[in-house]
Amino acid sequence: MANFDKVSSRTRETVSQRGAVSPRVDVYENERELLVIADVPGAPRDGLTISVDKDELTIEARAPEAAPGRSALLTEYRASDYRRTFVLPGGIDREHIDAELKAGVLTLKLPKLEALRPRRIQIRTA
Amino acid sequence: MFGYYDDFDRTYQLLDAFRNELGRALEPSRAVAGGTFPATNLYDAGGALVLTAELPGVVEKELEITLTQDVLTVAGGRKLGVPEGYSVYRQERPPFRFSRSYTLPVKVDPEKTVARFENGVLEVTLEKAPEVKPRQIDVRPS
Repeated sequence: MANFDKVSSRTRETVSQRGAVSPRVDVYENERELLVIADVPGAPRDGLTISVDKDELTIEARAPEAAPGRSALLTEYRASDYRRTFVLPGGIDREHIDAELKAGVLTLKLPKLEALRPRRIQIRTA
Repeated sequence: MFGYYDDFDRTYQLLDAFRNELGRALEPSRAVAGGTFPATNLYDAGGALVLTAELPGVVEKELEITLTQDVLTVAGGRKLGVPEGYSVYRQERPPFRFSRSYTLPVKVDPEKTVARFENGVLEVTLEKAPEVKPRQIDVRPS
């Protein structure tokens, strides 16, 4: 749990980056995988970047700019980019991370390495 | 050997984490409890009004959009639960159910209203009624 906190190194921004908000995230685990689900409304599939660097998982999503030629009558949200970084626990199979985007919700499946999955030990009857 | 500096790093990490949590808690546009939900933008695009609302995780078929005179009502929701067999580390995404009505500033043509739901954002385009559409007046050469 503790090592799933965000790290400060990634919260430092470069000047060329657009402002980004932290998406709301759910994290679940079972014996086979970690499941990370994030709300990223407005972000298209090709605006998504999911990267693993050392032990850090970063989710970035670019939302398109508002269409030009419109004047705003009501503005309750601004289409912003999303960015969030987690420290991954050890034993994640980085080659097989699966990402799915559906209705503005990003679902990441991070499988655990085979060797680290709990195994059921059969008891031999004598 | 570098333990002294590590302590500083750790403190800054905690501060950063705190700042982020606070930012999220105070972010007004993405609030769900109380306030107005869903977060909505309304634009005037000349011949039409365009309304957009952030609705991540909503099933398109379960969205109800009705237009009565100049009042547009959008209703829907999403149910969330712990996926079966998983334990929970964190749950920041709330389930929600909502119904929100918008009084439109001008008369619209109900026959020419189009809604689409893409990437978790609902976009309703409401063509203005002919009598309120901006009209271009040509200047006759004399």
